Amino acid sequence: MNEGQTQPLALEIRDLTRAFGVRKALDGIDIELPKGAFLSIFGPNGAGKTTLVKVLTTLLNPTSGSAHVLGRDVVVDAVELRTHIGLISHSPLLYPDLTAEENLLFFADMYGVEKPHVRVSELLEAVELDHRKLDLTRNFSRGMLQRLSIARALLHRPEVLFLDEPYSGLDPHAMDILDGLIAQIRGDHTFVMISHDLDKGLELCSHALILARGRVVLYEPREAIDDAAFRQTYRSTVGMGVS
Amino acid sequence: MASTSGRQLKAMLRKDIVMELRTKEMIMSMGLYSLLTMVVYFVALSQAGSTFDPRDIAAGLLWLAFIFTSMLGLNRSLVHEKDQGCLEALLLSPVDRPVIFFAKAGGNLIFLLAVEALTLPVFGFLFLQGTQLDWSSIALLPLILIAGSTGMAGVGTLLATMSVNTSGKDFVLAMLFIPLMYPLLLGAVTATGGAIVGGVQGVEVFWTGMAWVLGYDVIMLLASYGLYEFIVGA
Repeated sequence: MNEGQTQPLALEIRDLTRAFGVRKALDGIDIELPKGAFLSIFGPNGAGKTTLVKVLTTLLNPTSGSAHVLGRDVVVDAVELRTHIGLISHSPLLYPDLTAEENLLFFADMYGVEKPHVRVSELLEAVELDHRKLDLTRNFSRGMLQRLSIARALLHRPEVLFLDEPYSGLDPHAMDILDGLIAQIRGDHTFVMISHDLDKGLELCSHALILARGRVVLYEPREAIDDAAFRQTYRSTVGMGVS
Repeated sequence: MASTSGRQLKAMLRKDIVMELRTKEMIMSMGLYSLLTMVVYFVALSQAGSTFDPRDIAAGLLWLAFIFTSMLGLNRSLVHEKDQGCLEALLLSPVDRPVIFFAKAGGNLIFLLAVEALTLPVFGFLFLQGTQLDWSSIALLPLILIAGSTGMAGVGTLLATMSVNTSGKDFVLAMLFIPLMYPLLLGAVTATGGAIVGGVQGVEVFWTGMAWVLGYDVIMLLASYGLYEFIVGA
């Protein structure tokens, strides 16, 4: 956190660059996000949204610059930081040859969750999969996998939750469950969500970010955003293509 | 910290074993491949007549089969992790990367040893029947199997992690694995040959080969341990 900062920061990103060979997927990103905020990230395919989330979740190292999540450096404090963050991706990140319960118990072990069986039962109930807990996830529908993936991400009670297009492929019921879970924990969590759905992203966010070609096109708190102007800016970036 | 890593290592090993017992993918493919190799050896060598002592070539045949069999399993072990982004989920958890390496290598070692345990009696039945064996030196065989397989599983896990994201992963793994296995193969064949031939001289040869393999294991496991974080983060 910066000296003199009144609000504790969930994200502090300074001149962040991530290159793949000569191509810069992220190019000089500067962002500060207060704790408890909900950041929606928009941008065309290849804009660097997923790369940014991968850097912030310690899956990729930055090429230059720095990124701190909850005051922890994503490179130096990576192992410790991982106990405070969770990721819901469009891939379920679950083992198809384990049952729903085995998957959650495995990840509970990895995170050192206390009373894992109790926590797992609680979450299976929350995502309405307790009746399928002994079934292999290989036999689950897309919506069920995504619900279980939400349970996996929440197992260790992360303070910052990253959501990479979490609504993609969800049926309306699964969407309602995800909405409900977000609403339930919103007060004491920070959210960073990638979305192609402008309405949903704007409805949920407290801050909005548009990325294009690895650069910040717009980053503003929700109250400063004029919806029509925002949509216009977004539409103009979609044509900008990949970084 | 050590207990955390131990708990995570146990969880990953248990998960791999449960999944393998459920699907039997690795054991079945490796086991069948290994047994078929024995049959092919048997048919090919049955034409060679009885002018040579099978004990002279037994060690080479065995390790050749083990090396190729292990490649089959190594690729599959990492492909499981790539399914539905599981490797990403593993990397997101607060686990030191070398712990992932040791867990994957440990799982591969267990499956490899299981296949070797299945192959050895078949090999003995097909090739060493009626041959005079020194059972006191044959009893040393498990030592070299464990030591040799440890090196194969360790180096193989590292290389499989490197190659799993490449388009021709089977080819890439073979191109990297076989040259790196050469020193291990020399030591393992020497030691196994010594154990099969037996006698005082055979036991001496066994320990020379064994020392070579143990040295290889230490160097390669340390190198893999050091490189794993870089490789999964690349």
